[in-house]
Amino acid sequence: MKLALTGLVAAIAMTGSAYAQDYPFRDITTAVVWGAGGGTDTINRMIMAEMEKELPVSINVINQTGGVAGSNGMVYVMNQPDDGYTLVGLSESNVTAAVQGGWDKKFDFWYPFIVGGSPDLISVGKDSPYNTIEELVEAAKAEPGSIPAAASGAGSIHHLNLLAIEQGSGATFKFVPYKGSAPGQEAALAGEVALVVTSLAEQAPLILGGELKPLATLTPESAKIGDMEIPSAFDSFDGLDKYLPLKQAIGFAVHASASDDVKAALGAAFEKAIAGETVATWAAENYYDVGGQYGDEATALFSKLESTFAWTLHELGAAKVDPATLGIEKP
Amino acid sequence: MEFFFAQVSGFWDALVHLASDPITYPYLIASVFLGIIFGALPGLTATLAVTILTGFFGNKFPLEQSLIALIGAYVGAIYGGSYPSILLNIPGTAASAATAMDGHPLAKKGRGGEALGMTTTSSFIGTLIGTSFLLVFVWLLLMISKNIASPEKALLALFGILLSGTLMSKDLVLKGWISGLIGLAMAMVGLDPILSETRYTFGWSYLMSGFQVVPVLMGAFAVPQIMDGMRAAGSVGQAVDVGKIVPRVGTVMKRFPTIARSGVIGTGVGALPGVGEDVAGWVSYGVGKAVCKDGDQFGKGSINGLLSAEAANNAAIGGALIPLLVLGIPGSPPAAALLGALKINNVIPGPTIDPQLILHVVAILVMAAATMAIMGLLTARVFINVLRIPQTIFLPVVMVLTTIGSFSVGGGINDLYLMLCVGFVAYAMGKMHYPIAPLVIGVILGPLFDETFRRSLYLSDGDLSTFWTRPGAAILLALNVALVLSQMPVVKRTFRRLKPGGI
Repeated sequence: MKLALTGLVAAIAMTGSAYAQDYPFRDITTAVVWGAGGGTDTINRMIMAEMEKELPVSINVINQTGGVAGSNGMVYVMNQPDDGYTLVGLSESNVTAAVQGGWDKKFDFWYPFIVGGSPDLISVGKDSPYNTIEELVEAAKAEPGSIPAAASGAGSIHHLNLLAIEQGSGATFKFVPYKGSAPGQEAALAGEVALVVTSLAEQAPLILGGELKPLATLTPESAKIGDMEIPSAFDSFDGLDKYLPLKQAIGFAVHASASDDVKAALGAAFEKAIAGETVATWAAENYYDVGGQYGDEATALFSKLESTFAWTLHELGAAKVDPATLGIEKP
Repeated sequence: MEFFFAQVSGFWDALVHLASDPITYPYLIASVFLGIIFGALPGLTATLAVTILTGFFGNKFPLEQSLIALIGAYVGAIYGGSYPSILLNIPGTAASAATAMDGHPLAKKGRGGEALGMTTTSSFIGTLIGTSFLLVFVWLLLMISKNIASPEKALLALFGILLSGTLMSKDLVLKGWISGLIGLAMAMVGLDPILSETRYTFGWSYLMSGFQVVPVLMGAFAVPQIMDGMRAAGSVGQAVDVGKIVPRVGTVMKRFPTIARSGVIGTGVGALPGVGEDVAGWVSYGVGKAVCKDGDQFGKGSINGLLSAEAANNAAIGGALIPLLVLGIPGSPPAAALLGALKINNVIPGPTIDPQLILHVVAILVMAAATMAIMGLLTARVFINVLRIPQTIFLPVVMVLTTIGSFSVGGGINDLYLMLCVGFVAYAMGKMHYPIAPLVIGVILGPLFDETFRRSLYLSDGDLSTFWTRPGAAILLALNVALVLSQMPVVKRTFRRLKPGGI
């Protein structure tokens, strides 16, 4: 019996590898864990359309939303065979799914591909008295906790960026959570909050339309939008590099347990797609920085994000599961 | 003024361009039809129709064409919800809950054909009013909606709940308010919107996401209706006098003040971020009841009541698109799905949006409204025959559809238990003359009220004066207070004395 089973397993393994050599021979499905039209969805639809051109098959993009931090979609893909025919479209926000109780895997369950991300900005409404990040920080230091700051929900990348700038500059703001970037920006426009931390991509139309006044980027690089040069907060505060940058990483992933042939085939298609004109144009128009990391490099980036996110949430008391029990190391 | 002419001529060009392209028509007809079906089936909503189409079209079709389909479905679904409201007293979508108030009594009086015809016409005109605001007054409305912050939204949500409580009560107004407060309490279950703490979940993960609107809506309206229908055991269908469905121009003209007022109210409510068609219908209905000469007939089968609700919910579409297109902030849930469709196609709505696209959207809205009107007037004759089917056959079918609708929101079997529980409670409440609609409105608007009320206080460090120091908030607070005071017996008596003949 035992022998028969071993034989069976061996046979499956063999057919598995035989098929894998031909990978891909049927259509691939990418399940995006966030809703249609969101950043992750848009990026996946774009990159999948480009990768399709490099592969002999089509790629269908579907949305599997819901759960905790996108856990529904990740669990769905986890339960599919690791043959590379079901990919998962995800973003840096998904690294909190485990500590929030959405599922019980560390993020290295995945073999990720990073398409890119948009740098976070600190911006104020157009009528705001603050014109530079220094003025804002001075005001916040004068009256700690009095200046309301919007960022999407507790534990989001924007919230972590806000926390980092507080720690790096010594200012304390009054964090007001919103259910996403758009409502937070809307609040800054209405004057309900003094500043908002969201990504350049999300703020771009409002900055170009003169509704928001950008003060600083939260990356070492400055950013250019229209004729405007947005300085980096790193130039104003020395301590920042201890906490920042914490940057969006949007892309897709395959099971880490997938065969090397699958990873190689996807990697080759991904490299060609990411180097293409379409991705460059798209990134420039939408104010994204192209990533292009995959495999070990991307895994390392994600595990850094995972440990920062998980332990910050833990310290905020917002984590259900102790990151230590999941084997997530302290940053 | 120059802006006005430029917009109108630009719109005309866009309309001609759209109308002369043959590909427009298959998209338009299919999508409006799909929208009407989604709207008419209890539980399937406009948001769902637009979301499904957004995923379906993705970025594989030209944006111009997918927009036709999405907007067509949006307009169709908001209108389609009125069919079951009028014919069955089960609102197809939350947006048409106010429509049932007068629509169904009309149908019971055998004036269902007339009601459907008037609904279609007013939805058509309402959509056009909302659209014309989008075309011409976009910047004016934007200025207002941009300055709406949390305190105003909280007071508006509260006003919506109180208003529906006031309007729906058959005997004691207090009963309506109680029902609204129960709904508000139900909305508190789940993760709190500010700090994500769990509330009233008893460790049950299903409750963490709170009570979904669709199962509550279906339970509250469909289940009691089905129970009542089955008890009455009308084994024979109702005799239906279809009558004249297309209303006379004269009739429409006579009602025009109501339609125009409701259209403007609907557009305004729709333009507020996050407040959509469902609130628009109620607010307009409430204003109508106060303003119309036959206000006391509202709820008993008044054409004016029907028009107030229907013109407003369709006008809200144009309103909801204003902050969406020029700020990138959706004015209603279906508009949020539409935002996704734009982004998939690499169009980022906001102050930098291509003005041509707004004109294109306006042209699509006009064409979709016309398609909806023609389709509605042609098919009303068929739909009204639903009333002829014996209830013993028809109601089980409705029950199945309702169940599917509740299941479609994705909460699993628990959503069906929720629907049944709400249904039995609603049935009992109905027997005790507690109106059920305020409960549903409470569940719909509760999360908005909860989030904005608490955020207002959070921002003001618990200082309640934030609700009257802002001009917009002060007006809304005054409206809320006036609404409650106007129901006090003392105040009512004084008014009656001041104004012989009553209001």
